[in-house]
Amino acid sequence: MAQKLNVLLLDDEPIVGRRLKPAVEKIGCEVEVFEDPKSALNRIEEKTFDIVVTDIRMDDIDGIEVLERVKKRSPRTKVIMITGYAMMALAREAMEKGAYDFIAKPFTPEELRKAIAKAAQALGVAVSEGNE
Amino acid sequence: MLVDGEAEKSAVEGGVTLEGRYERIKAAESAREGLLARPRFSFRMQLYLSFLLVFLFAAATGTILIIVSHEVETKLRFLEIVNDYMLEIQQARRFEKNFFLYGTNLNDALENVYRAKEIYAGDVEELKRILGKDRHAQIISNLERYETLLKVLAELDTREGDILQYQGKKKEIEFELREQGQKMVSFGQELMKKEKEALSEALLWSRRIHVYALGFILVLLIVNAYLLGKRILGTIERFSVYAQRIASGDFTPITPSRRFRDEFTDLAIAINQMILELESREAVLVQSHKMRAVGTLTAGVAHELNNPLNNITLTAHMLLEDYEKLSDEERKDMLEDVVAEAGRSKSIISNLLDFARESSSQVEPLDLEKILRETIALASNQLKLSGIKIDLQSTGYLPRVHGDSQQLRQVFLNLILNAIDASSKGGKIHVLLMPADEPGYVAVKVVDFGRGIPEHILGSIFDPFFTTKAKGRGTGLGLSVSQGIVAKHSGRIRVNSKEGHGSTFTVTLPVTTIPAQITNA
Repeated sequence: MAQKLNVLLLDDEPIVGRRLKPAVEKIGCEVEVFEDPKSALNRIEEKTFDIVVTDIRMDDIDGIEVLERVKKRSPRTKVIMITGYAMMALAREAMEKGAYDFIAKPFTPEELRKAIAKAAQALGVAVSEGNE
Repeated sequence: MLVDGEAEKSAVEGGVTLEGRYERIKAAESAREGLLARPRFSFRMQLYLSFLLVFLFAAATGTILIIVSHEVETKLRFLEIVNDYMLEIQQARRFEKNFFLYGTNLNDALENVYRAKEIYAGDVEELKRILGKDRHAQIISNLERYETLLKVLAELDTREGDILQYQGKKKEIEFELREQGQKMVSFGQELMKKEKEALSEALLWSRRIHVYALGFILVLLIVNAYLLGKRILGTIERFSVYAQRIASGDFTPITPSRRFRDEFTDLAIAINQMILELESREAVLVQSHKMRAVGTLTAGVAHELNNPLNNITLTAHMLLEDYEKLSDEERKDMLEDVVAEAGRSKSIISNLLDFARESSSQVEPLDLEKILRETIALASNQLKLSGIKIDLQSTGYLPRVHGDSQQLRQVFLNLILNAIDASSKGGKIHVLLMPADEPGYVAVKVVDFGRGIPEHILGSIFDPFFTTKAKGRGTGLGLSVSQGIVAKHSGRIRVNSKEGHGSTFTVTLPVTTIPAQITNA
């Protein structure tokens, strides 16, 4: 494992970050977790992440805006959107705007890890997929 | 499971509890009894009575006229008799004069006197009645005396004797004879004059009776027509007020307003029956509309449920995955998260379940601010989903309002859901609770800054089945049902809208001191 993948995880539900951080770290990623979209965006301005996982619907700034900002800052970064079932239209919009993948709530840690692994592959980086 | 069962049951009942419906039926029944308890005075009866009255009056007038004409006839006959009698007397007097002037005989005069007596005797009873005893006696005595004198004179004339004595006697008799004749003639003339006057007076009376009777019948007919018209038109007017009242959603049965009953009473009873029918149908409509609102809210609930469900899924999976590696403390934390998220799920659906289940209709003192807060909570998933902010402002210290909290919640929810639909993402909705402009009312305003309503359809938005939403999205019953509910509370819904700037829906509800005012208004 030459280089660790930098992952930013943004969801306004604190439990999501709490559970997913260890889950994603298991596959050898460096994970930064944010609940507040604003501070997440600030961090994105500072640092280039390989993968950004963001909830699509949040109170102040929504996932689409985060996606646009990430793509503007670093077109190479893969963005994975977390959506609700009832928001397929929004998910489609996100894909059109350059999201790499989306994952619908409720999902398992494994599903996210698979999505991240796929994105990593696209970036040309291998991660240790699945449970060790 | 239990919760589901209950919600289903209340939906079947159609929004009105059995108890409430039973009360309504009882009210209608007591109204019916009240309506029927009064004495009957039908229109048919009034018509018959008025015709009878006119007939009786006409009959009375006719009788009087027959009597009068009979009297006229009698007077005419009497005049005829008196006239014949007078002619004989006058003839007798002419012969009497000739006797004294030319010495002709007196037999002709006597003959006339006999004939006069005959005429008089022919109708003596009637004449006696008309003239009265005294006058009758006077006429008879005059006539007898005149006859006696004529006889004496005639006897003197035939007896040859002392000329001087005869002359003297003759002079004596002549004087008395003339006096008696004069008396008879003037008496007869006076009688005739009087009778003629009486006759013309009787004729005048008969003419007057004709005119007065006609006039009186005219007045009678006019009064009757007026009374009948007033009764019919007044009742029709009253019923049109009832119709308006019922149309505005007031389903109180019609109660007696007069002291008697008639054909309209049957109509009132039929209308009361119709009101019962209408009310149960309206309740079904309100309930079905409520269920539609529940359907709309369900989408929001389903979406919102995703979050705790996702949290539970992630936590449970991680707990399974790392169970051995985790410390007791961490495992406990994770389980606590699961419990908390399950609780959160419950609270997300409980508002909706409460709203869908509770359907007992009852009037009670209301805390409007609390109701609005609960309604906003009910719509909160929808608001989150649409990315719309809502804020509630209340002036506080508002006078008390009575009403059915369930139904009013439905009205406010409908207005808020409409406002959400009209607003674009990131929009804002204000809900204001304040005293209304008109005194004695409290106003709830739902203000959005969305599309607004075009002026040409502003007049029809409260009409049933009118909708601007896409097919399958709206029934067009929301505002119509809301208006019905608010009208039942003696309140009003008004709208103020400017295309492109947003709309304000204002619900005004009367401040009540006595709760009964609402149910019986």
